[in-house]
Formats: sequence, C-alpha cells, structure tokens
Amino acid sequence: MKIPVYMPFLAGALAALGAGWVGFPHAIYKSRPQPVDFSHKVHADKAGTKCEDCHAFREDGTFAGIPSLSTCAACHAAPMGTTVAEKNFIDRYVTPNREPDWASYAQQPENVFFSHITHVKLGQLKCEQCHGDQGASDKLRPYQVDRISGYSRDIWGPTLFQSKAAGTVPGMKMDDCVDCHRKQGLSHSCLDCHK
Amino acid sequence: MQRTRREILLFMGGGAAGAMLTPAPWRLVTDAAIWSENWPGIPRPARGEITARYTNCALCPAGCAVRARCVAGQPVSLAGVSGGPLSLGALCAFGLTGHHLPYHPKRLKQGTPEEAAAAVRGAMAKCGPSENIAVLDLAPGRSASWTYRRAMAAVANGVYLAPPLPLGGAAVNLAKARIVLSLGAPLLDGWGTPGNVHAARANFRLVQAEPWESRTAALADEWLPIRPGSEAALALALTDPKTAASAAQATGLTEKQIAGLANELRANGPALVLSADDLPEAMALNQALGAWGQTLAAGSEAPLPDVWKKAAPERVVASVADNSIRVLFIDESVPGSHIPWSAVEKKLVRDNPVVVAFAWSLEGYGRHAQFTLPTAVYPELTGDIPPAVDSPAATFRIAAPLVAPPAGMTDPSAFIAKATGIDPGNALQERADAIYKSGQGTLFTYADAKSTPLKDLKPADFWKSLNEGGAWIANAAVGQDAILRGDCQSPRGPIANRPAGCLPANLPHIGSLDTAFPLPVAFSEPQSASLTSPLMSKLYQDSDLRMPPNTAALHPDTARASGILGAARAVLETQYGRCAIGVIPDASVPPGMLAVAAGAEVLDICGALTRAKVVAA
Repeated sequence: MKIPVYMPFLAGALAALGAGWVGFPHAIYKSRPQPVDFSHKVHADKAGTKCEDCHAFREDGTFAGIPSLSTCAACHAAPMGTTVAEKNFIDRYVTPNREPDWASYAQQPENVFFSHITHVKLGQLKCEQCHGDQGASDKLRPYQVDRISGYSRDIWGPTLFQSKAAGTVPGMKMDDCVDCHRKQGLSHSCLDCHK
Repeated sequence: MQRTRREILLFMGGGAAGAMLTPAPWRLVTDAAIWSENWPGIPRPARGEITARYTNCALCPAGCAVRARCVAGQPVSLAGVSGGPLSLGALCAFGLTGHHLPYHPKRLKQGTPEEAAAAVRGAMAKCGPSENIAVLDLAPGRSASWTYRRAMAAVANGVYLAPPLPLGGAAVNLAKARIVLSLGAPLLDGWGTPGNVHAARANFRLVQAEPWESRTAALADEWLPIRPGSEAALALALTDPKTAASAAQATGLTEKQIAGLANELRANGPALVLSADDLPEAMALNQALGAWGQTLAAGSEAPLPDVWKKAAPERVVASVADNSIRVLFIDESVPGSHIPWSAVEKKLVRDNPVVVAFAWSLEGYGRHAQFTLPTAVYPELTGDIPPAVDSPAATFRIAAPLVAPPAGMTDPSAFIAKATGIDPGNALQERADAIYKSGQGTLFTYADAKSTPLKDLKPADFWKSLNEGGAWIANAAVGQDAILRGDCQSPRGPIANRPAGCLPANLPHIGSLDTAFPLPVAFSEPQSASLTSPLMSKLYQDSDLRMPPNTAALHPDTARASGILGAARAVLETQYGRCAIGVIPDASVPPGMLAVAAGAEVLDICGALTRAKVVAA
C-alpha cells in the first residue's frame, strides 16, 4: 500500500500536538503534596470560619498569608474531632511545635509588589476573584511548580480545557492584573507593581 | 518497513508545524526568559518576619523621620513618618531610596587605616610652629563635629574648619512667613525640610527672583526674571530705594516693579528673604524688613556636656593662611556642603602634606587625598543630625543604623581622637545625657507618634527612644543650655537689636569677582558630590528630567558666543580651575548664564557665587 505523501507530515503534526498539549503540561511541572490534609470546606461549613479568620491582616496592614502554626494551634491544641487528618496534624506539628512546610499556590515572584489590603479593603475584591473558590475545596491540591521558571502553576491560571472547570483558579499573570485594572479604569503603570 | 529520507523530513516538518500549535514552544520561551532573570548570584530578597523600624535620614541636614519596612531585619522600603513634627510625614526621592546606598557599585570597600595613622603621626611630629593640623567637617553641628573640635583643641595649632552655615547659622520660621522673596534659592526643590516647606507653602506668597525658570520659579506665585548675577543689586535696592535706578538697570526690572515689590514686602509681612548663596545684601534686607524675631531667629544646637566646651572655634577655610596645613582630615562620611578642592589645596603646605579623607565613595575629596578610608554610609552609620535651617528650635535626632556596616569600615571620630590623643567616649550618649539634664523640651517617638515631656522620662528610656526612632525638640524659645550656631555665637544684646544680624562671614561679594569669567553659574541640581541610589539616576538623570552630574545647560546664543554651538562636550573654566562638562543647549536658560548640574568635578572648581566661561573641548 502506498502511503499518501502528506501522511508523514500529518503524523508528525499529530504527534507534536499530543506531546505539546498532553505530555508537556505534565512534564513542565513537578508537584509535591501539601504537608497537611486540610479541608477548607470543613472549616468553612462546620466551624463557620471566614477567610480572614485565618488569612488575616497584621496591625500594620500587611497580609499574613498562610497562617502560622500558632493560629492553628489556638483551636487544635487538642483534637476537636476524630479524623485521622487532625490527629496527624497535631502529632506531627502542634505537639512538637513545628511549622508545616506549606507551599503557597499564589506566591508571586520577587519582582512583584502586591498589596492585599489595597485590593481587599479599598478595592472590595472578594478572595475568590483571584484565588478561586478555595473555601469549597475538601482537599488541598498538590502544589505544582514550573521546573524552569519556578512559578506556581496557579500563576498561569487554568489551561484551555479547564477554564470553567470546578476547582480551577483564575490566573495571576501580569496580563490578568492589567486586564482587571483596565476594566476598572485603574492605573496600570509598571511602577504600580514593579517598584 | 522502509522509510525514506523524504518521509522522515516530512514527519519532522509536521512535528515542527504541530508544535507551533501547542503551548510548548511559547511556554519554553517565556520560562527561559524568566529563568534568565534568576541567574545564580542575583541578590535574593530576604524572606521572614515583616517589621517596621524607625530612624532619621542622614542624607541631608533636614534629617527627616523615616519608617523602614524590613523583611527579616533587612530594610526593603523607606517612607516618611506620618505625624512627625519636623518632617511632617514627607520623605524626598533621595530619602526614599536611601537604603540602596550600601550596595552602590561605587562604594569604597577597602582602605589602609594603619598606613594612614602612621603617616599622620609622622606628619604631626614634624609639624612646624606656623603649620596647622586641621579637620574639615562638611556637616558641622553633629556630636562627631564636637569630637573634632575637642581633638583640635587638644593639639597645638589645631584648626577646625567647616563650610559657612546657611544664613550664618540663623534659623528660619517659615510658619510665620506671609511673603517670601527668594533670590534664586531652591525653596521648593530640596531647600530645608521638604515636608515643613510644603506644609507652610499655603500660608505664604512666594516671589522667586531668578534669571531662569527653575523648578521653584515654575511653582512660585510670581517669577521675576532678573538678569544673571543681579540678585544682590535687587536686594540692595529693596533695602535702600535710592539705589533703585541702578538696580533696575542691573536686573532688567523696572523701577516701578522694584518699588512695588518693596512695598509688598513691607505691607504683607512678616516677610522673609532667602538667597541661593547667602548674600549679605539679602540678610541686610531681612534686617530692614524686621524679619529678626519673626521669620528669622538665632539657630541653636542641643545642649552639650560641659567637658565638650573646651573646643576649637569653628573657622572657614578662607580664614586659614595659605600653605599652612600639614595634616588635613576631611570628613565626608555624611553628605554636606562642598568647598572647591582648589580652595582647600592652596591651604596645604607645599612639601608632603598628609590628607586623609573619610568617605564611602571616591566621588568627593577622596580623589585628591593620599589616604581615603572607607566609612559606613546611611543607613549603616550611627550619628546625630544637626538642626535643619528651617527648625527654629534646637533638635537632637539620631540616625540609628538599619543595617550593620561591613567589616573594615573606619569611624572618623575614633580615628581622629586616637591621632590627637583624646578619648572620644560615647559622644552620642554623653550628649543625650546633657540634654536630659537640661530637663526641657519634648521627645517625639515615631512608632507611636507620641510627644512626651522630657521631665516625664527616665534617662535610659530617653536614650532608648532616641535610638529606636525619635526626635528631641527644645522648647520654642532658645533654651538656656542651647548652643547658638555659627556667627550667632556671640550675640550682642537681644537679637532684634543686633545691627547687622547674623551676616555670613567670608563670602565674596559679587562685585569683587573676576570679570574674565562672564557667565554666572546657577546650580540646577543639589550642590553635593555625594552619590545617590543608582535607581534614582535611572529615573531622573537618564531620562533628562534632571540633568546628569557635570553638565551645563546654556542658551544657544551663549553657546554660539562661546564657540561651542553644536558641541556635546566643552570645558568649564572658573577662577578655581577647569574641568570637562557635557553641554545641553536649552533656550529656556537666559543668555549669559550657565545652569549647571553639580558633580564631583564641577564642585572642585565651583563654589558660591562662581562665575565661569565655557570653551571648546
């Protein structure tokens, strides 16, 4: 059987498309699990906590980000429930007073200045607008980091196929910031973020 | 199955075309670009606890209050302290980037202090009876300055030299001024304490008499474009109307304008007259307008320990005989005034003088000294800041270090004290104790924006607060223990009755200058050889918003008359010497003058009231 002349070209193109769209995203990121099996949903629904109860602002207006062990230990010095996850957390971290090695999904690179208080208090943005609906998540996703650039996957935002999928977060790239500022009619000069 | 080379090439071509339709190549390009920004060796910002620390800026005599945001103890941004009573929350662009200075590429890192000490010992041993050992202190009024004065009093023929104080040591009370006549003073461009000036600005009318439309002239209520070099004539005519006709000829204003200005100054007072070069005529005009006791007062320093009062008097360089200084120490560890090197050099003995400069870069006198010893730089250094020219009350503020200085830095006070055999002690703490003993004034602490009367504090708390960001401010009236500054040190009766006020000493009169140099020099940028943050030079000087150092702007007609029209480089000549400069033709600069951006080379040959000429390079 004679192979049509375009078939090798097509095969090469298809192979590259498959590798580029399926293989590459897996290869470019390395992932690691979060140190604690934490459920935002349980804390939000059962304990009735709000985002800012744990992810608080300091007195000087700076954002504390991921809560320190002392914040967690304020409630979990002793087990409050019967779950294995809580028991493990207390045994591994609270009792030996060891900070969990959390990985921040939303960690911006060093050359970006971002003020949470400006966006949350002045701009009245909801946490979900940038971080997605983390409050509804029952498990912490593995932390994925770009092997070359060192950026968190969440900075890049959803892939083409998961733009509306549940659990995905909007991107936090410079273009995303600029788009939002443009829509709001706000300043978006270089020095606003790159001080 | 056999594959032909053609099929393999087609497969590869298809693969390449297909890859272009995936995110892979584009993402690799982006990632590679980001990766290339993160080479090993690029400084990594510290991560850690975020804290706020407070200090006072030591980059100019304003000494503005500073709040440093620190990450893991490392200052990452500086800001003013809201509520601060002296700087009123403001911090200038230089102050905002002050924490970059320790990492300046031109930072001096090594010196030879042992060799310098040996050379000084040798020179002091062979110092003749008519020769001097001198300290040139570019930022007088500090506690370190008093150590130098004590050191010079402890040795035979010791001389303490300092640049003339602004306004002869008088202090300005801008809050009381209702009209200000500025004879070329950069009132709104870095003069005094910027926060204080801008806070008072709404309450006074500003008339700027200046040949060119400087930044202050552009922001003034009225700009009087006078002829270059005619500031003194205008001041004289405003004092004595009989000279109005000649002043009109000199300034280019009409007699009616001059008379109108004179009436305005008298009718809408309290008035204040400032001049770029502390013209005696301006101070005499202040006297005539009754500014003393209103907008001008005797400037004062914080109280001193009694043992410090055996100190050498403050003298200006011109008062020392030529070829008489055998050993000269120059402290330029903090930015201060600049005296042309040629004026200093002629005071040195002809045979092997020893000049030791204490500096953090080689941009200043270090270029001329045999020994340049590296010092800490703000915000590494520990020292106090003398009261600003616009502070009517005595103040005491410590520039507490935000970062530790690197190893190998020299403390100028300790070096000079050791060379002269005195005990420097802990000058700052001794002075704080003396202030505490005076029992007057208040302490303002930056962290809690609180004023506490000194009598309500314990000595240890006072000292601790000063080091953690605070300012002691004397009561409004000059305290009994306060030290009057500059020429005001020997008041003859009440200040208001002093016949000539505090006239600055040893300033050349404009008329006495050599007319071989036809072009008056106006400084368009601060007169300091000190370096600023490299980031500042990117934002300002490289963008032409501010002129780069060692550059002159001049009218095309002036350039044509000087034979340098179209040239980018030229040679600037003054009575003190010559240096190469960059040239910018600028029609906004009036013909017959130079607007010069100071740099180390220009400051070597340009002092107050300098005239110059430019010639082809």
